[in-house]
Amino acid sequence: MSRESPDPSAPPGAGGPVPDQPPEAEGDGAHMVRADLLTGVVLLVLGVAVVWMSWEMPRLEVRRIHPATVPGLVPGLLGIALALCGAILAARSVRVAGDGAGWRRFGAGFVTSQAARVAVTMALALGYALVLVGWLPFWAASAVFVFVFIVLFERVFAPSPHPLWRTALTAAVQAVIVGVAVSVVFETGFLVRLP
Amino acid sequence: MLEGLALLGDGVAHFLTWQSLFNVLWATLLGIIIGLLPGLTATMGVALLVTLTYPMAPDQAILSLMCIYVGAIYGGSRTAILLAIPGTPASAATTLDGHPLALSGKGGLAMGLATTSSALGTLVGIVCLALLAPLLTEAALNFGSYEFFWLALFGVVISGRLTAFDDPIKGYVAGLLGLLVAMIGMEGLHGFRRFTFGVPALGGGIDLIPAMVGAFGLAEILVVMKRRVSAHIIDASDRVVPRIKDVWKYRRTTVRSGIIGTFVGIVPGVGEDIGAWGSYAAAKRKSAEADRFGKGSLEGLIAAETGNSAAIPGSMIPTLTLALPGSAAAAVLIAAMYIHGIRPGPMLMVENAPFLYKVVAMLALATLAILVLGLLLTRVLLRVMTVPRERLMPVVYVLCVVGSFAIAQRMFDVYVMLAFGIIGFFLREMRYPMAPLVMGIILGTLLDVNLRRGLALSNGDLTPFFTRPVSAVICGLVVLSILFSIPVIQRLVTRLFIKDRGPQTGGG
Repeated sequence: MSRESPDPSAPPGAGGPVPDQPPEAEGDGAHMVRADLLTGVVLLVLGVAVVWMSWEMPRLEVRRIHPATVPGLVPGLLGIALALCGAILAARSVRVAGDGAGWRRFGAGFVTSQAARVAVTMALALGYALVLVGWLPFWAASAVFVFVFIVLFERVFAPSPHPLWRTALTAAVQAVIVGVAVSVVFETGFLVRLP
Repeated sequence: MLEGLALLGDGVAHFLTWQSLFNVLWATLLGIIIGLLPGLTATMGVALLVTLTYPMAPDQAILSLMCIYVGAIYGGSRTAILLAIPGTPASAATTLDGHPLALSGKGGLAMGLATTSSALGTLVGIVCLALLAPLLTEAALNFGSYEFFWLALFGVVISGRLTAFDDPIKGYVAGLLGLLVAMIGMEGLHGFRRFTFGVPALGGGIDLIPAMVGAFGLAEILVVMKRRVSAHIIDASDRVVPRIKDVWKYRRTTVRSGIIGTFVGIVPGVGEDIGAWGSYAAAKRKSAEADRFGKGSLEGLIAAETGNSAAIPGSMIPTLTLALPGSAAAAVLIAAMYIHGIRPGPMLMVENAPFLYKVVAMLALATLAILVLGLLLTRVLLRVMTVPRERLMPVVYVLCVVGSFAIAQRMFDVYVMLAFGIIGFFLREMRYPMAPLVMGIILGTLLDVNLRRGLALSNGDLTPFFTRPVSAVICGLVVLSILFSIPVIQRLVTRLFIKDRGPQTGGG
């Protein structure tokens, strides 16, 4: 494993600039501390729950298995580690000054236009997968989803929308093409059954 | 050695058919397009395409997936240069110098050098793969349960430590969550069903592919749709095909970055993005024109693009020899290999020795393809970049639903995709990295079974886990990387280090 040695030198330079995230000025200030406090508590509870469930798991004594190989061993250890991480995360966030501003900014994160865009995308995604698929034939469900998605985002959320008829027409054309093409390509080309 | 060369020759010859070349072409082109489009990543592309390649012959399927992987990591550079948005996380370092170059009217040169650097980076990685993988396999044949337990833990810990954005603990949490997900379903030693809560579908556990399609597909769609504006493309009308002397001038940077990228790729669960940052940082330290970095340095661009591409063959080294994924996309490749009846791991060289060299040949073909496609198709690819996300993302989501459903043909996997997508999005928003989660899911079983099997073999005694030489070394690495993420210890070590150097700097 000695060949791993060059690597620890790489990350410090690598950790500095932040990859992956879009270059938006959002800052990791007080609201992230609040988010960490909440997730820390959730992780702590989850970890403790996992430990408890692992403890309660059958030890399979009747099958005379080696006592060190009980099914609950590894989940229990993982639960302990998760609870520990959650506790550290929460404790660290509590230590950072806790005035109301952090919570307000944390709450404000949920009522921005960005949050609205995410909520709409999520609702459409869930509605399509849980309701439309299964209720309509797959091609039609996909077409409806694509149409509604495009019209909503190009009309409601766009800064300078095109006329409605134009958006609706092009969206409808794209929706039908996508619905039919995906169904035909997957069912006849790749021989998979669709939902 | 000669036997290896013969097998390599067979591997290349095996793919010199019209069908293979056709697969190389479409898959690499699709990969480049996936890489170009912000919001579509290499991991997501490979995960979605597993479904498409399902009916293919095993080696053709893996060939296509590998080409998509290589193409996507390369394709991201185009967007990084012209839009200043990394097409995939792997090309984040490319934006630093690529975009300033495009702004100063050298967009064509930047695209051309990114292409040759990616190709050369992959080549350096391929050489390392062909040389190191057989050696590592030989060593790995002696590994037992104790070693594999530590390797699995090392994979999750190191991935959590190095891919976390600013906070290692979030990397560890992501890894632990992944490991816990892997605990769901029937366990491997006694056939007991854990955490199924009476849901029959959970008995088989959570499949990796739908989970990945959620965490890298739906979650990414949500991230993309959250953003308000899209940037505009910079026009690049200068010469794209780079001059040989430009490439030759930076040969040292290329080789260094290729080697750094490869070794970063070897580290489990640490992939192309860190490969790029690592080689970029090293190039900056060594460069005579370090002050140009970030302002349009050709050397910086070359380092980043060589580093991220070299990490691909690098990541295949532990993937093939230990079944320990070298990157998130490699984790999907492992799942795809299992679907097609190929079992990566130490036994691969025993059971299916030619496959390793086939992978080498696949990577070589993909490299050739990015070189040709990347230099020829500049205009067409530019047009792809202008597809608005409002039109693209719903189509991608339809494919996510089809992709997660089609493998086992059950709606349960679609629900898994939804759950991972939404939870993955929130985790991302709170800056938890996704790679350790994936590592946890794929390594959970290995960790669980080998810990308990090792304990059974030693009759409950823990000492073999610490006294066997290889175990001890990996255990040491795990402990060190956890210790170093504790701020107090980090500060202590830094202070010691500074104290040692203090008088020297004072005197100098």
